[in-house]
Parts: sequence; C-alpha cells; structure tokens
Amino acid sequence: MNQIPIQCLILACGNTLREDDGVGPFLAQWAEERWRNDPRVRVLCDHQWTPDMAQEIAAAEAVIFVDCALDQASGQIMLRELSSASLKPGLVTHHLGAAELLRVAHDLYGKQPRRACLLTIGAGSIELGEGLSPAVRHALPDAEDLLDLTVRQLLD
Amino acid sequence: MTQTITIDPVTRLEGHGKITIHLNEQGEVEDAQFHVTQVRGFERFSQGRPFYEMPSLTARICGICPVSHLLASAKACEAIMSVRIPHTAAQLRRVLNLAQMVQSHALSFFHLSSPDLLLGMESDPAQRHIFGVASARPELGRAGIGLRRFGQHIIELLGTKRIHTGWVIPGGVTEPLTASHRDEILAMLPEAYANVSLALAAYKQIADRFQQEISVFANFPSNYLGLINEDETIEFSDGALRLIGPKGEIIEDGITAQHFTEVIGEAVENYSYTKFVYYKPLGYPEGSYRVGPLARLNIVKSMGTPKADHELAEFKQLANGPVESSFFYHHARLVEALYGIEKIEHILADPQILDKHVRATAGVNRLEGAGQIEAPRGTLSHHYKVDENGLITWANLVVATGHNNNAMNKGVLQAAKCYVKDGKFTEGALNRVEAVIRTFDPCLSCSTHAFGQMPLAMTLLSSDGAVVDQVIR
Repeated sequence: MNQIPIQCLILACGNTLREDDGVGPFLAQWAEERWRNDPRVRVLCDHQWTPDMAQEIAAAEAVIFVDCALDQASGQIMLRELSSASLKPGLVTHHLGAAELLRVAHDLYGKQPRRACLLTIGAGSIELGEGLSPAVRHALPDAEDLLDLTVRQLLD
Repeated sequence: MTQTITIDPVTRLEGHGKITIHLNEQGEVEDAQFHVTQVRGFERFSQGRPFYEMPSLTARICGICPVSHLLASAKACEAIMSVRIPHTAAQLRRVLNLAQMVQSHALSFFHLSSPDLLLGMESDPAQRHIFGVASARPELGRAGIGLRRFGQHIIELLGTKRIHTGWVIPGGVTEPLTASHRDEILAMLPEAYANVSLALAAYKQIADRFQQEISVFANFPSNYLGLINEDETIEFSDGALRLIGPKGEIIEDGITAQHFTEVIGEAVENYSYTKFVYYKPLGYPEGSYRVGPLARLNIVKSMGTPKADHELAEFKQLANGPVESSFFYHHARLVEALYGIEKIEHILADPQILDKHVRATAGVNRLEGAGQIEAPRGTLSHHYKVDENGLITWANLVVATGHNNNAMNKGVLQAAKCYVKDGKFTEGALNRVEAVIRTFDPCLSCSTHAFGQMPLAMTLLSSDGAVVDQVIR
C-alpha cells in the first residue's frame, strides 16, 4: 500500500453504465488527474463502498466520499460533514453507506479520519446507459470546484 | 401430511438461489433441490461480437471473479490467434490469477462462512455476519479485510482497476510491471502471511466443534477434477486437467482445453438454470465430480511452495485417500490462499518479471479456440467458434459452479435429511442447509450469468407438490 501518509482520501463510487450513477467515477477520474503529482491525496473509485476500504479510511487524515444522490434535485450539489453510524441489523456485506464505513474503520482499527465529508450530486436518471444527464453535466464544473476547494482546505 | 420447506433466498452467497425440501407422509426428508433462478445469456448475446472483445465482455459476468473469465477467455482467443504469449506476460497473468484467488477465498471464508464457524450455526442471525465476527474477534475482521485488500490491490497495481480490469487482452497484457509496483507488492507480503496464518490457526481451533456438520455437509465419495502440472504440483493457469476417482485413482489425465468437450458434457434439469456438468464416459449423473479447493488438494501431490506444502501434508491426514466432506473446502481454501501468497513472492523474485515484452499480436488463424484455468471456485472453460472475420458464431462457458452442481444438490439433500425432522426446522437447521452450499462458495452469477444478489428461498413441499411451508430471506 502507499507508504506516504494520506492526508486526503477521495472515495468515489458509482456505475458508469447507469447514467448519472457514473458521476462518482467521473469526478474520481478528474481528481486522479488533478492530484496526480500530489502523494498526499489518494483517489479510490469502485462500483460500491465495501468493508475492505475501512483500512484505507482508518489510515487517512481526512476522507471525502463522492456519490450521486437520489434524494436531491437533479444536478444539485451538497457537501455534508459525516460522523460514523451504527451498523444496521441484517446488514448486506456487499456494500456500505459512507457513515457505516466510518464506523467499521473505527471499530476495527481504533481510529478514523479527523474529518469526513460526503459530496453528492443529485441524479436525474440512473437507467441503463452511458453518459450523464444534461443537469448533472451542467453541475460538473461547480462540483469539481467544490471538491478542489475542500481538498485544499483539508491539506492546509 | 407431506410438506414442502422453501428457503428463499439463500443468504451469504454470490447470486440468486432457492432450496426446496420435499417431505413424505411421515415428515421425513425425501428429496431436496438447489435451484438457481436467473438466466443471463452471455453465451447467446456474445454471438456476432469480435472475438477480441470476449475477455472484456465475459469479465462482466461477475464482480468477484472477473479475472478468471478474463484469463480463460484470453486463452481461448489466443487459440484462435494461434499464438503463444510472452513468458513474462504468462507470469504476470499468473500473479493476477493468484491475487484474485486470495481475495476471493478471503471473501468466502471471512465474509460468507466465518460468521457460522466462529459465532455458531445457531447464533443470532442479526449478528451472524462479518461485523458480528469483527465485534467478537476484531483481529479476524482485520485479517479478512487485509487479505481482500492484498489481493485487490495487486489486481489494481497490475491492471489499474480492481474490478473488470482491461489489462488482460488476447496476446498477453497491455502493460509491463514496473519495479516500484513490484516492490509495493513485495512490501505487502508480511502482513498477508500474518493474516492467512491467523485464519488457519482460528479455523483449526474451531473445526473440531463441527463433527456433525463435517459428517453430513456433502460428505460422500466422488470424483474430483482440476488442473495439475506434470510434476503433480498444483496449477491455476496452465497445465492440463486430471480426473481422479473416489479412491484417488486417475480416471483420465492430460485433458487439454481443446479436448475438454470430448470428455465433459452438460445436462439440464428443469428446476435450475445452472447446467449439470459431468464426465461423458461415465454418463450423467454417475460421471459427476467436484472441483475447487477440496478437489485440487485431493488431486495434487504437492503445492510446490514450502509453507503450503506443510499445510497440505496436514490436510491430507484428514482422510486415508481423498478428503470427502465438503466442510473441508474451508480448510482447503485457506491452504490455497497461503500458496497464492508464496507463489506470488516466488514469481516476483525473478528479474524477468519486469521485462517489457508482454504482448504477442496476430489475427484469426483458426476458427475455433478454447481456454481453461482454475478459478477460485474451480475449473473454468471458455470455448469459442468464429467466422473468418473473427466474429463469434458460438460460445460455451463451463463454470465451476456447474461442475459442482450435482454435488451441491446431493449435499443439500444429505444435510436436510439430518436437520429437518418431523416436518419442522429451526432457524439453525435452515442455516446449516444453506451452509452446505456456502462450503462450495458457488458463484451463481457466473453459472447462469445472472445479475448477482444474495437471496435464497427454501420451500417445503408435500408429497403431492403442495407448498406447506416457505422461508424467504
């Protein structure tokens, strides 16, 4: 694993074959390029958040989760501070929410990032298909700016 | 009165499954079936696609073992191209395959089965998951996560993505390994060794508590199929298949990918979308056999790496001849995970692993090609026919879960006869019937190319077919 301490972990999830569900991977790709030469920032992207990510989260000083949201207006951008949440009974171990993943990191490794945020962009459609809806595409520059600002704040 | 018990869905599996148990008038178990309830149709909709798309296309069958399909498919494509890939590419693919095996076995043991083994078959279902294990035994929770990350990070270092990497292509791989990535993998080894050792020690500590389960979890004489090297060491990427019988005798040896369909057939039953694979000379169902970790360790004489060989020797002491109880798939899985780590270390020690020549190129030189590898769950075969433009005209995939299908059904019946009494079952009894399936670690999405979920239904049917009871999870 990366030997340099990770000051900011960007953890995106989504499926590029489900229209706006691909906004997480899109922003992850942007972030990879944006911080390509900065070893303090690590970008991880997967179809969903899984327990295996708990170790990386525990080792990071800050984490930004990135995903689309179904309960926001299409293209609406929100950034929220996160704290760890209890694990629900009957938990499906395929995937976890961001808050649950923070809890797993704490329970297993005895530590969690000093700051955790969730950046979400409201999805217009998550039907089968590639490409982002017009509203989400329109929101991308603002989402990138917000992600950039948040990372810079976390690195200071 | 007769009854039907249905467990629907089966939990902590990859894919969609259902178990039906038929009771007779006396309330005794008469029959049981394991149904796989989806169809995905990769063999059909890939027709008309260029053959070189098949690795990428078939990798999408599964999110847990996409590497297996990448590799088997690439080998089938290379048979069509009539190329031999560069040695370094073959070794890099071997590392990829072993990394996937480690992470897949870690998923199976820690996430899917350890809740039963460490917390108990009768434990509270609300706690009977990986986080329940982590709460009771946090060091094991960390070990499971660590081993999964080990395998997945290697896949990511080699192929850029952890799931559905495009790095494996017909002819080899797209990029060589860098020295820094090699060193990063080597630096992960000590923790990986520690994690698998912890898992083996924990398993051995608790295995004795499950004597009844060991006796009825698909515990019967069978044939076993798996890849093997000429020196009778275990093999996951090349070699040829060996079929052994219940006493360990060789029934057939040297089965290559090209001859696979001459000796291996597929039967269909009306209660499942997964095919039932069998050895043709013995017919169906007598020619059924098991594949995967238990089969592989029964077939080979040596792992070829020191720590795993030590564990293999201990494993083989479980029986005089092949180890028969499918409960011991759990043990075999951990031995293979240890082997995978050792073998990765061995391969990366060769300076040639950094060689830049990692791809051979060619067009269509044959109109048919087949490839076979050992996936974590067992033997996987891809077989394609193409037209002169290289477009797929026919494709057949024979996956591990299909090979094990007959054994899983027999195992479910065996366990049901033990645990379902007088037409009644406890939650723990139902869990045990599911746990039989989990020993095989089936990938139901692969076996039917179905959309993966984890549900299972168990149905209890009367002798006249009426549904008497049903459990759906």
